[in-house]
Amino acid sequence: MKIKNIFIALAIILFSFNNCADFLEREPDTILSDDQIFGDPIMIKSVLSNFYGRITWGQHIDDSYTYTILDEASRSDGGPDTRQDFENDRWRVYNYTLLRDLNQFLKGVHESTVLDDETRAQLDGEARFVRAWLYFNMVRGMGGMPIIGDEVFEYTPGMDVTTLQYPRSTEAQLYDYIISECEAIKNFLPTDPSTNAARATKWAAVMLKARAAVYAGSIANYNNKMTAPIRTAGEEVGIPANLAEGYYETALLAAEEVITSGKYELQLTKPDDRGRNFYEALSVKDNNKEVIWARDYKYPGQTNGFTQSNIPASHAEDIDRAYAGPILNLVEDFEYITDRNGQIRTKEANGDYIYYDNPQDAFANKDPRLWGTVIYPGADFKGTTVVLQAGQKYLEGGEWKIRTSEPGQTDANDILITSVNGPTTTNNQFVNKSGFFFRKFMDETPKASTRGRRSEMWFPRFRIAEAYLIASEAAFELGQSGEALTYINAVRDRAGIQELTAVTFNDIVRERRVEFAFEDHRYWDLKRWRLAHQLWNGVGQNEYVNQQYAQQMALFPYLINDPGNPNQGKWVFDKFPTHMSPYPRRFEMRNYYNFIDQGWINNNPKLVKNPYQ
Amino acid sequence: MRLYKYFLIITTVAMILIACGFDNYDAPESVLQGKVTYDGEALGVRGTGEAIQLQLYQDGYELRDHIPVYVKQDGTFQATLFDGEYKLVTRNQNGPWVNARDTVVINLQGSTNVEVKVTPYFTISDESLTLSGSVLNATFDVTQIVSTAEIDYVSLLVSKTAFVDDVSNIARKDFQDLQAGTLTLSMDMAGNNEFTSAKYLFARVGVRTIGADQAIYSKIVQLK
Repeated sequence: MKIKNIFIALAIILFSFNNCADFLEREPDTILSDDQIFGDPIMIKSVLSNFYGRITWGQHIDDSYTYTILDEASRSDGGPDTRQDFENDRWRVYNYTLLRDLNQFLKGVHESTVLDDETRAQLDGEARFVRAWLYFNMVRGMGGMPIIGDEVFEYTPGMDVTTLQYPRSTEAQLYDYIISECEAIKNFLPTDPSTNAARATKWAAVMLKARAAVYAGSIANYNNKMTAPIRTAGEEVGIPANLAEGYYETALLAAEEVITSGKYELQLTKPDDRGRNFYEALSVKDNNKEVIWARDYKYPGQTNGFTQSNIPASHAEDIDRAYAGPILNLVEDFEYITDRNGQIRTKEANGDYIYYDNPQDAFANKDPRLWGTVIYPGADFKGTTVVLQAGQKYLEGGEWKIRTSEPGQTDANDILITSVNGPTTTNNQFVNKSGFFFRKFMDETPKASTRGRRSEMWFPRFRIAEAYLIASEAAFELGQSGEALTYINAVRDRAGIQELTAVTFNDIVRERRVEFAFEDHRYWDLKRWRLAHQLWNGVGQNEYVNQQYAQQMALFPYLINDPGNPNQGKWVFDKFPTHMSPYPRRFEMRNYYNFIDQGWINNNPKLVKNPYQ
Repeated sequence: MRLYKYFLIITTVAMILIACGFDNYDAPESVLQGKVTYDGEALGVRGTGEAIQLQLYQDGYELRDHIPVYVKQDGTFQATLFDGEYKLVTRNQNGPWVNARDTVVINLQGSTNVEVKVTPYFTISDESLTLSGSVLNATFDVTQIVSTAEIDYVSLLVSKTAFVDDVSNIARKDFQDLQAGTLTLSMDMAGNNEFTSAKYLFARVGVRTIGADQAIYSKIVQLK
């Protein structure tokens, strides 16, 4: 009884204390109001940085698989990839959520009272630049899409939703909008390069303008040269041919504006080692003069897995390695310094092998950019050789036979059979299958390939070489062949290969392929030139064929171990279709434009479908 | 106790009888069958990879998407549907024919046969495909239907299954710069391992028109 009374008394006391605390009336700590955000310059900046983190689409270094679906690299992990076709939503961007967030941010920045005019202009410019970049990523996939301007849509139950539904713009209108936005904001943005090229500058905006214009120009030009141009009745897809010239002029002027700005240069800090020079221009951030705008990464928190996934087995620091490797098709598109036929010579005219003393001799006098882009057999990485050896070869009854082993094993005489790096044709993980490793974007920093740290490597989106090649392409299409030649030769000079004496369209296609390998250009370039269905034509090969892009090809180095043979200890190479991607790439007409999702049409019946849908 | 047992049995039986079919529709049973034809002849197309698609629409609903109907390689198609009125169109710019998206209205009551009439750019007829050793010899007539059309390429295709087209094959050879008329072409498959080891062989020829997203094919001939 006594205890019971004490309990009751305690309970009453406790309740009376508690009742006054308004624990149900707390401020939410996960939702911030507009006043909290736009009343604090640091909060405003963190919202902006959130936008920068949400705009990486297409092929990029944090998704190594995206490199293997085109004609640049092949997967190496596990069994073969049965990919042949391209999806209807491949790299499709439809992000009106981000657009609304950006417009909300713009409104807040305009109304904020804590910003000085200069900062306000810069924030306004950056948000609008991000918005233009988002529209650009939408238009290159789908064609014209609704342009909503600065509108921040609000929905209240019962309202007429048709006021929220905007029809698609024409493809030309959306490119025009991107170009005009870039022009409008360029003077709001800083003219000096930003740290690690992470934040947008004036020159990033001008580059986006140049790229949008050259894309629009080439669609106007090459789409209408097709037998059956791809277009919709309302021109949501398809740009009239008469607009091509204007776009090319815009592209040429914008590209020249960046070139003459003097803020960036075709980086040439190691003229005696052009391969290394090209690697550093792309993959080393310190004192970089080349890159204009990049997705930057920083440890801790913001790191990417490209190095970790793809590092050669012999150099791996953790269990991950050798996820994918570049293919022979790309390697052969790199020219020789004085010979435009880039074929790797493996056989004499009479069908005999060519015997090389060292595996890297097969790549002697290649375009130095090859060294800076891929690790080929016998090349160095971080100061030590990357051994790529598929096996040993020996003569038996007049025929060359192959001896292979598990990766890393040696024979009775302690001679390596198959390297720990591969290449092999097994279905094993963690061993190369194509004969090459990536070098571009491969981080040399210690511990960059560990799971605990990963890599701080950046992913450049715009760099000065693109300004030169856009200028060259636009000048070429405008018939100014002299300027076209000057600009393309500037890039070739820096690379360290012979100058051209005249430019053809195919020269531009090839120069862009080798200069911008792995930089998210190839797919969009072939699309805008309407070349994709011709190059990725679905035609398979059982044997090696030069200059074809549908079937991925491998190059396997073998060491000759046949005591008594005059070529003992030399190296030979075999070329054949990679077994990891047995089916040729097949780009169909419907792939030129992503499909418009039925769900979007249900929400907004004003959207029209794309051709072939 | 006995009463309880009966209850149990009756309830169980009742449950078994009732449980199904309460809130489900009957499965569709009506079959729509058809052919894509020109001059009454079914056209050979690529039958794999959902390459040739027809689209069925049904009016009367607020939100609507088409029902895709895939055409088989002999030009026939089939769909199992509910009774009702449907509209059948070809897919936009899909197929080796002139892109005309005329609607065929189908009133489906039980099974129905329809014909989708199209105008192909070319037709292939009188094909004779024979194998001598490792060489495929093909003779066939290509008739031009659309006077402005031009041949992009003509393909000889051999497959080890009855599915033969520009993607499903073990040997393919393309010929360019050809004109309509009687064509005699051949392809040597010596050295093709898949060819030498194949138990059965089927062959077909295809004609791709410039600008069309698909080729038109002949009938399939079994070689072996």
